[in-house]
Amino acid sequence: MKLERLRHVFRNSLELSDDSPVDDLEYRGNAQWDSLAHMSLVAAIEDEFGVMLDTDEVIDLSSFNRAQQILEKHGVVLAD
Amino acid sequence: MIGLLHPDARLVEAANGATLGGVDLHDQVAELSAALDREPPGMVLAAMPTTVTAVLRFLAALRVGRPIALVDPRIDGERLADLADRFCPAVLFGDAESLPGYRPGPDQRLGDYQRRTGDPGPAPHPDLALLLATSGSTGSPKLVRLSRAAVLANAAAIGAALEIDGDEVAPTSLPLHYTFGLSVLTSHLHAGATVVVEENAFTTRDFWSNVDRHHVTSLAAVPYQYEMLRRLRFDPARYPRLRTLTQAGGRLNPDLVEDFHRRMAAVGGRFFVMYGQTEATARMAVLPADRLPAKLGSVGVPVRGGEITVSPGDGPETTEPGRTGEIVYRGANVMMGYAETAADLARGDDLGGVLRTGDLGRLDDEGFLYITGRIKRIAKIFGVRVNLDDVERSLARHGPVAAVAGPDRLVLVAEGADDDRLARIRAEAAEELGTHSSGILVRSVDALPLTTTGKPDYRALEDQC
Repeated sequence: MKLERLRHVFRNSLELSDDSPVDDLEYRGNAQWDSLAHMSLVAAIEDEFGVMLDTDEVIDLSSFNRAQQILEKHGVVLAD
Repeated sequence: MIGLLHPDARLVEAANGATLGGVDLHDQVAELSAALDREPPGMVLAAMPTTVTAVLRFLAALRVGRPIALVDPRIDGERLADLADRFCPAVLFGDAESLPGYRPGPDQRLGDYQRRTGDPGPAPHPDLALLLATSGSTGSPKLVRLSRAAVLANAAAIGAALEIDGDEVAPTSLPLHYTFGLSVLTSHLHAGATVVVEENAFTTRDFWSNVDRHHVTSLAAVPYQYEMLRRLRFDPARYPRLRTLTQAGGRLNPDLVEDFHRRMAAVGGRFFVMYGQTEATARMAVLPADRLPAKLGSVGVPVRGGEITVSPGDGPETTEPGRTGEIVYRGANVMMGYAETAADLARGDDLGGVLRTGDLGRLDDEGFLYITGRIKRIAKIFGVRVNLDDVERSLARHGPVAAVAGPDRLVLVAEGADDDRLARIRAEAAEELGTHSSGILVRSVDALPLTTTGKPDYRALEDQC
């Protein structure tokens, strides 16, 4: 279920509709995902999963996939 | 007349490191100037992306004395067409469908553009050099008319206040159609320094590798970017060349002012809090970095050639310490006036170098300015100005909604709204204003507080923000 929570966080922060696919999203080339949306996304991920991302992680969080990897590094098990 | 471009000024393209300076830079600007000069007479309307090409085009227009309006590069075709309709530019750069009365321009040196074939509008005033919008990309913005003398005076004054010299390297960390972003460009080029033309935001890896690669010495940022820098745990020790941070674009939370002052002071660097408006080209006051601890909360002293008084409403303008009133600025960088139509471009100087800012403030016994509020109904969202009355009008169908200014955010207060309705109001306002919804706070009240005249009591609402 945590994976679904992460999807929800992405849709909320990037202001996408509730059924938008997000698993393939990338920072680059995505008009919705600008620097403001990025900071909103980082804040929402930190709140939702109770983690603190460091500078490199904030900058490296450049896709839905990378977000999963970073969270797993913090010990958040996302797999259903 | 001495131009904006110092002989030693350099432009560096962040992505590939390509450098343009000295004679090469001057030659390219001269060639583009000659090309622009052959276009039909009148102003240039240009979408202003953060690219070397767009910068050269701006410099060429300035050099050849042709007024240029710089607009948000994300502007859609419809809005660009509306601007073209209102201001009758002779030359138009940007993604618009081919407009009636315009034909694709043939001069390859200028890139893609449209050229006016219909009647030229009224001839712009000879002093007019630059036009900037007062607010974001939405609505039908008024343009601020700035003279060449104002642009040069402000570039020089900013250079003096920040002690910009030929060794400085600044990236374009803000959009160039935005007065603060453009002032970073003009002040550095005028001082013979280097500008790194950088499109990436702080939140990207590329931005920070380019800071290293191009030996960046200073960063300019607005309040929300300082929030970003804090979240990124910005540490100047990691960037030994980067020793100056500047802030403008609205009030920065005092915690952040102290925080960034400390971060910079710890490495022998400087943090400048500044005050400006598009109507003053860019900058009116700068707080010298070494006075910041003693003057926390102040936006500093007038830039060179500027004077600040306050106008208390119940008496004459004064510099008396502690008196609060509307901030009045005098200086060579004050705009000529506004323009709403092509006819306004022919107007001369309507203000005579005196700008009533619409901001409230007071001076202390050493002449340092403290901003205490505003008279005009405006808010800033991520540094971009929005008109609160316009916002309220656009949301009228949702019932009573009051719009007030929060810290770098828009606050919407709706009467008796449930969470669903609040979410809809927020989404609609974000869409209308073209901003991220995190810039808009919404809340519900049983009844909006009213003044004795039956209008929403905005002061009471702002006090609750």
